[in-house]
Amino acid sequence: MASQTHLNLSPAELAYLHASLSLTPPIRPDGRSPTQYRPLSAETGILPGTNGSARICFADGTEAIVGVKAEVEKTRARWDDETIFLEGQEGDEGAEEDKEKEQGGNREWVELTVEIPGQRDDDSGTIFLAQMLSEALLADGAFVERLKINRGWHWKLYLDILLISPPLSYPLPLLSLTTHLALLSTRLPRLKSEGDEDPFFDDDWAAAPHLYPKDRKARPPVTLLVMAVGNNIIFDPAKEELAVADVALAVSVGDSAERTGKTAEDEDMEVDGRKLRLLSIRTVDPPSRLTPPGVPNATNSAYGHAVAGPQQQKMPEARAVESEAVEGVWKAPRGGAKLAVMGALVQKVLERGGVADEVLDALEAVDLS
Amino acid sequence: MPLDTSTYNLALLRVDGRRWNELRRINAQIRTQAAADGSSYLEMGHTKVMCVVTGPSEPGPRRGGVVGSAGGAGGGGGQSKDAEVVVNIVIAGFSSVDRKRRGRGDKRTLEMQSTVANALAASLHIHLFPHSQINVSLHVLSQDGSLLAALINAATLACVDAGIPMTDYVAACTAGSTSTYAANDESADPLLDMNHQEEQELPGLTVATMGDSDRVVALVCESRVQISRLEGMLVVGVDGCKQVREILDRVVREKGRRMIDEGTVEKGTGLNDMDVD
Repeated sequence: MASQTHLNLSPAELAYLHASLSLTPPIRPDGRSPTQYRPLSAETGILPGTNGSARICFADGTEAIVGVKAEVEKTRARWDDETIFLEGQEGDEGAEEDKEKEQGGNREWVELTVEIPGQRDDDSGTIFLAQMLSEALLADGAFVERLKINRGWHWKLYLDILLISPPLSYPLPLLSLTTHLALLSTRLPRLKSEGDEDPFFDDDWAAAPHLYPKDRKARPPVTLLVMAVGNNIIFDPAKEELAVADVALAVSVGDSAERTGKTAEDEDMEVDGRKLRLLSIRTVDPPSRLTPPGVPNATNSAYGHAVAGPQQQKMPEARAVESEAVEGVWKAPRGGAKLAVMGALVQKVLERGGVADEVLDALEAVDLS
Repeated sequence: MPLDTSTYNLALLRVDGRRWNELRRINAQIRTQAAADGSSYLEMGHTKVMCVVTGPSEPGPRRGGVVGSAGGAGGGGGQSKDAEVVVNIVIAGFSSVDRKRRGRGDKRTLEMQSTVANALAASLHIHLFPHSQINVSLHVLSQDGSLLAALINAATLACVDAGIPMTDYVAACTAGSTSTYAANDESADPLLDMNHQEEQELPGLTVATMGDSDRVVALVCESRVQISRLEGMLVVGVDGCKQVREILDRVVREKGRRMIDEGTVEKGTGLNDMDVD
């Protein structure tokens, strides 16, 4: 899926960017280190009319607001599913394939919309963004399980994601971080009824517990945008950097410290008690693939070199020579990403004390009002 | 929830404790967003609106994105001598008490877009920017009545921030009447600045004026009201617009003063020159 950030860079500029980003260490246009995020300012609880809300401004001026609203909804009575749900709750090992079915039903408990100004709401890029963000939430059933009230009722959660500023860079990291923060600040009224009675809530908002309690370890997922240029792995790319990316990946990471009963899979990693867990990966089609290639001076008529003569133009071989890689001339990346590069990207995200950890720590430090 | 309007006559106080001629608290900020050409944030009571202005810039499918569908062409000529004012309103799903999602094609939203665009185009000097486009995107974060008025005020502030030459502030306000159309009450008082509860029950109108003059640039009335009451409502509304203009003006001056203090703006003009009007 194309990350439609429109940027008018000449082939020479693209080649320069690509060259400086593939140095060791890479030199980024804004002087950040490869794993450094853009500085951001964040606040929560900005909208008293919502269950949870957050606003994040990146230093480059992009800004997003997320509001979470919850409604009580009757769980559709399907008796066969009801028993399966119980089994899943007991952590029964045998109910693995049954859990799949149960998630399918729960998927409708979360509704996520993304609004980007100046774009139609049925724009493919916007839908893809919303899909990536909701995928991360729903990937393991842990999130929807929190929305269960009792066997007959559940919370339906509406997440509305607003990009306030014009889309200057690919907004995925911004929207994901803001959603994460809004979910951290989300509170649901305290349940007064017991068991399977019709739910009855405490009307004291001060007593409402957080959806993600602060003392527990579990945290909502976060989606990181990672790209590779040559052998370098770069986090949170700006628009110009994305324009020369060889590969761009959206990697969703969750923290599943609560689910210690599960067997440690190879992607699970223990980091200071935090258990990073890979939830989903999506490739993002970088705009670099759509850029026109540069022309070497040797064949450029603007530099006084003879254009291929009429007899040469007839030969198809003359065109093939042009597409060879020349130092300092921009050539759009072709073909798929190498498996080794993809592996390295994911490995880097899940690294002990790596960027994902740093981002989760930073967001945890935001004061939840 | 129906509003009990009968209590008004007892103490002449409205449901939220205001008198007939009182505005709700208006709080506004400009330059809230660094990346945009102009931006503002406006609260009228519990109605909260954000505005981001981009432009005047070259029009094209890339910048506006929705030239065909975004409605609201103001001025009267896309590619002609005047700049086109394109307004885009996003009403967030969480803005009202019960979540209600409105799509882009919603008729009420489209109408508000064209009203805001036309009101702005009356004040902006769009003839100075031929073949260009001014994008105004408005985000409604919370709504409690007087939505259109809040949108117009926020858009004005953002245009001031963007530095687009304009004749005067376009200030907007709502006015209503204390009894319903059906009551046919001749002695009904006009009301200033209606909240959501009053808007549901009582007849009302939104009026926008050019600065503190009596020139009305937008007038929207969507409810049934006796013609005899209309004049009183309009007078109260226009008077409210003058109060709103003062508030907007104060916000802009305060920001300008702070920017000079901080040295963001060149000290070409002294602090005290600003007071000379």
